[in-house]
Amino acid sequence: MKLAQYVKFREERFGGVLFETRSEKVFALNPTASAIVREIARDGSDEPGLVARLADLFRGSRATIETEVAAFVGDLRSRGLLED
Amino acid sequence: MLEAAPPGEAIPSATPARTGAGDLGAPLYIAWQVTNECDLACLHCIEESGPGKAFRDELTAAQTSAFLEQVAAEQVPYMSFSGGEPTLHPRFFEMAAYLCERQTQLKIETNAHGLTAEGCERLRRTGVKAVQVSLDGATRETFNRMRVRGDFARALQGIAHLRAAGVPVEINYSPTRFNIHEIGLAVDLAYGLGAESFYTGRTMYTGNAVKTWHRLAPSEEQYGGFFETLHAKTREYAGRMRVHFHEMGLLEELRYRLRHPAALLIVLPNGLVKLINALPFVCGDLRRQSLKEVWANFQRAWQDPRVSQFVEDLANDPRKTASLHQWVFL
Repeated sequence: MKLAQYVKFREERFGGVLFETRSEKVFALNPTASAIVREIARDGSDEPGLVARLADLFRGSRATIETEVAAFVGDLRSRGLLED
Repeated sequence: MLEAAPPGEAIPSATPARTGAGDLGAPLYIAWQVTNECDLACLHCIEESGPGKAFRDELTAAQTSAFLEQVAAEQVPYMSFSGGEPTLHPRFFEMAAYLCERQTQLKIETNAHGLTAEGCERLRRTGVKAVQVSLDGATRETFNRMRVRGDFARALQGIAHLRAAGVPVEINYSPTRFNIHEIGLAVDLAYGLGAESFYTGRTMYTGNAVKTWHRLAPSEEQYGGFFETLHAKTREYAGRMRVHFHEMGLLEELRYRLRHPAALLIVLPNGLVKLINALPFVCGDLRRQSLKEVWANFQRAWQDPRVSQFVEDLANDPRKTASLHQWVFL
């Protein structure tokens, strides 16, 4: 999975922004969401791979990371911000 | 974790969402009027562009390069080239390639009259996000009346070249009293030409329109039918072509902007930076200041009492927009 063609990501002091340049909509990300998007933008892979990399980066239970990543990735997909 | 602009606040331009422009480290969108030179002399042109109308002090090659390097360094995600006619700039393709190679998404706003098959193929290879063509009429009669020195057939030919090359096309439409009745046909035409998006809104009383307003200004009744048609066309083309339009009046939009400045810089051909097109205020000069300095000043400038005063004065005198080219430096 990767960011959709017209989606740009930039890190900010508060986390980050996703800018969908076709609809010209901006989405503000908190630091956790920004960390996930950074990993997707850096090295697009499948969801299990993403969870594994985030588990290496952050402390916390793998089950919690899996749940949060699944919900967040689903949210991004439903808004057309991710593609395979 | 994910927060979008509330639906009621979404405005189809660069919106800073709830972050506020002040929270961002750099602009999200830079609209650069690369030259004021144009091969047409349109009745409504807000920039008063035309043949021989290039500014005497437009950015030099060195200044242009320095500006674009900063755009890339600050990771500005989105930029547009407009004018005047941007394709007339001698470094047009070079500048477009520089940005696209550095992952800035680039939109070109053009009259399409100079777009050849070869030029469009080059735009496709360059990787521009879209080319937005001004098509203010669904017929030769209205288009040619609006776009002095322009020709409907040449604009259509330019669009055909874009589509043949596989470049995404968008259409922009400015309503006047003599073309506003064609809005439905114009949306249909845009779709037939293969456009992905259609943009329109109220025509502004500034630039050339100040001199031609008596020939241009639609009535509120005409605008009523115009927006009604656009709502219907939005539904009709849902999922096939995006129909974007600003229904709110200028005053309403500026009041909104005072509370929510867009993360958007308007850069003039000479490097001066405006707060927003519909205000006369200048918040920086890219010939003398870095993009970072201009961005910081942009955020302060929106809080300047002269800005809010100007907006409120517009409520009493809508024709104050006639003075937008008398720049006020903040």
